[in-house]
Parts: sequence; C-alpha cells; structure tokens
Amino acid sequence: MEIEGFNMPDDLYYEKNHFWARVDGDLVVMGMNDYAQNLAGEIVYIGLPPEGEKLTQGKNFTKIESGKWLGKVFAVVSGELVEVNEELEENAALINEDPYGKGWMFKIRPDNMEELKNLMKDPDEITGWLKAEIAEHGTPS
Amino acid sequence: MEAKYDFARKYRDQILQCSRCGFCQAVCPVFGSTLRPSYNARGKMLLLREVMDGTIELNDELIETLFQCTTCASCFENCPSGVNVPEIIKQVKKDMVHIGSCHPAFKGMNEVLQTHTNIYAENEPKDFGRETNKKAEYVYFVGCVGCYREDESTLATLDLLDRFKVDYTLFDEVCCSGVLEDVGYQINEDLAHKNIDRILATEAKTVITGCPYCFRTFNNKPQYAELREKGVKVIHMSQLVKDFELDVKTDKRVTYHDPCDLGRHCGIYEEPRDTIRKIASDFVEMSHHHVDSLCCGAGGGVRGAFAKNSIAMARRRLREAEEVGAEVVLTECNSCVHNFSNAKLRRHKLRIYNTTEFINELMKEAE
Repeated sequence: MEIEGFNMPDDLYYEKNHFWARVDGDLVVMGMNDYAQNLAGEIVYIGLPPEGEKLTQGKNFTKIESGKWLGKVFAVVSGELVEVNEELEENAALINEDPYGKGWMFKIRPDNMEELKNLMKDPDEITGWLKAEIAEHGTPS
Repeated sequence: MEAKYDFARKYRDQILQCSRCGFCQAVCPVFGSTLRPSYNARGKMLLLREVMDGTIELNDELIETLFQCTTCASCFENCPSGVNVPEIIKQVKKDMVHIGSCHPAFKGMNEVLQTHTNIYAENEPKDFGRETNKKAEYVYFVGCVGCYREDESTLATLDLLDRFKVDYTLFDEVCCSGVLEDVGYQINEDLAHKNIDRILATEAKTVITGCPYCFRTFNNKPQYAELREKGVKVIHMSQLVKDFELDVKTDKRVTYHDPCDLGRHCGIYEEPRDTIRKIASDFVEMSHHHVDSLCCGAGGGVRGAFAKNSIAMARRRLREAEEVGAEVVLTECNSCVHNFSNAKLRRHKLRIYNTTEFINELMKEAE
C-alpha cells in the first residue's frame, strides 16, 4: 500500500522505530521502511555486527548513519543474528534505493515467531501510525 | 578594474602563482579518492583564474567543486610556488555564501548552530556521569564529535583522567563553532562567549581538548582571545598524556594516524608517538606519516556534506594501515576515529581507537 506517497508493502510487519520484518522460512528478514530512508537521506554507513550475536526485540543493536544523522537499528524480534547484508558494507545507499529488496539489512533466527504479533500488520493500524509519524517528523523537502 | 570577489582582492597574485605543476594532486585526499582533477588544488586554482577573468561566474554549479575540501593543507605543504590554497578556498567559500551559493549541508550547519549547542542538532546534553561546572585545575572540553558520535571514546578518556587523579571538570559546553570558518561562515560569537564565560567560571587555568579542531579554534581564533588574555592555557589531550606514567603494554602491531588538525596544522607529531612507544613495542609508521600524513577525509565539513567521498578517503588511509600489517590504528582525533570506524570493512582485522581509549582498555584488561 502507499501511504502519503511512501511505499509500505502489505505483506510485511512494521515496527515503530521504522523497521520492517518479513518471514523467510524459519528466519525473519528486516530492513528500514521507505519513509525512514527518505527522511534519513543518503545512508552512508550501517554497522554490521558479527553473526551469532544475540538480539532482543525492541532493543537497538547497531547504528546507521547518513551525512550528519545518526540513528539506531532496533531488533524486530529476539533471536540470533544469522546473516548480514554484506552488500551494504560498501554500498549502504541500497537501503535508500531498494529498502525492501536489495537494501535488506539482517536475517534473524527468532527465538519465538510469536513475537511477530508485537509488530504491526493491520493496514489501518499501520496507516494511522505512519500518518501520525509524518505529521510529527515531516517529510524531506 | 575592481575585483568582483574578496578572494580575488586578497589572493589574485597567489592564484596566478600556481604553476599548474600538479604536485598538489599527488597528495590531495579528495583527488586521490575521486580522481576528479577539478576537485584538487590545481583544478580549483584554474577555475578561480577563469572566475577572475570573468569567463565563468561563481554559482551553484561550482558548489561541489569548491566546497569539497577537507582543509588538510597537504597541497599547501607541497606547493613549490607557495600558494596558500586552504586560505584561498576558505575565502572563496565565504564569497559563495555571500552570493547565496552554498552547499545546503553547510547552510544547515550554520542554521543549526543558531538554535542548538552542537552541529548535530541534538537537544539533550550528553551526560558522562561526571560533575560539571565545578572549580578545578583543568576543564575538559569534549567537542561535538566526542559528545555525540564517539561518546565511548570520551568516556574512556574521562576514565583515564580519573585513574590518574587529574583534577578536572566538565562544563555546559557548546560547539566551538570553529568549523563554520571553513565552510563559508564565521564563528558563532554567542557560542564562543558562552564557552569562554563558562570556562572562566570554573577558574581552571588549563583547558584540555579531546578534539584537535577545537584546540586550534581556542588557540588561534580572535573570538577566543579572552581565554588567552586571562591566562588560560589550552592544550590537547595528547600533550597531557605524554607525561603519564603508563605501566601497561601491548604486543600488537600498532600504527599512528596523524590527524591533519593536530599534525600539519599544529606541528604536534611527537607527543602522541612518545606515548605510544611507552605501551607498544611493535610500533610502525604507515607510508605517509608526520607532515605527509594522508587525511582521513572528515575535515572541512566534508563528512557532513560529501559523506560517501569522505568515507572513501578514510578507506584509502586504512589500506595504508593494512599494508604495514597494523592490528591497531591509534589517532588523537575523534573525527578521524569516527570516519575510520565507518570506513572499516569486516575483512579489516585492525581495530581503531583514540589513543586514550586504547590505554584505558589496556588498563582495564590488566585489572
């Protein structure tokens, strides 16, 4: 679906710090949503922790930067980090170019898939939330 | 005919002195990573000749070329004709701002510092868990990068000061605003007064800075003359640490990156090395060191405005560290640490630290 010009695919879960989650077999893939990548500007760096790191849902585990902006990356589910998108190491701008495809960030083996219920999936909820975020934080000029 | 721009009034002769030899191109970090001739000093001087001749105008089309300079001064250091490119480019940027042609990142930075205490527009002051604004012998000035980008490095530095029982205080510091001079604007007088008043209130006789750029600003800029007039000395952390008795060692291969603002601009090369040699038996120099140090790419506001190129420059420098087999890269500038940390790839086996952070880590391991 499109919300005020921002692409928010229907088949994804969304987390309130502007990350998305998708189930891929027994793993959960995560990345940054279209609104957030727009607001951040050209991403130049994302920290890629070592595989095996234990993550906790809702806790930040690495950082992401554009020119002057520093943001935190929050785990969408608790579990083990099993894969990072190494393409981002030298081309972090993939997050801007293709936030739901080539710009995926991390794959997590979740401790409990039920945790996905803590994320947003209902289109009305997502729409209301994102509109409120846009009202608060604006859109890039 | 009256020169149209201040840069031409002040520096016409120097610009014409450029013999187009290209020595500057060999040492320019921006050219080194982009291979764009117009980006380095020779290219800029050629463009400015055209502007002086009236063939082209200063305008938005020249923003990327003329504002992309880390102010590392390698060009000036290597110019056989003595052309002071950094000063010329600084004036050119001011001229461009005057006519309304400025990189938006720098315009934004100037605006941010009208309403915030730091260049990142952070609203919350950083709490390092230390007393602030007390009377002390020293006052420690963290700087924006140390507060909001490399806070772990700052915490480690403060831990080290505590270990050595240095009588210091933090204070409600604000951005020194020195960077504005390099991006077409002027030091923010309001911020400068705040820093001066608050430093003087601590009755400290010495300011220790963690940031070489703040160090230069406090020591050289007329807006901070009152500190000097009132007998307050400003030193860089490396000048304090060199006198510490250090009883920790590392057997890792260590190299040192000379920050441009500490080395080429201030001539401080040996104090950091004296400290490193106390703790590292395997200290090696990269192929470019001391006055020839290769810029990390962060300076002159380049990290904020041309971040991709800035990180490319840092990665180029890290290749030199790889070439000498360094396991640890030490430096004395949080901006360099930040840019190197962003540039470091997973395959790089080296670790990057501010020297004080590394010393503190060794001490923690030894406990």
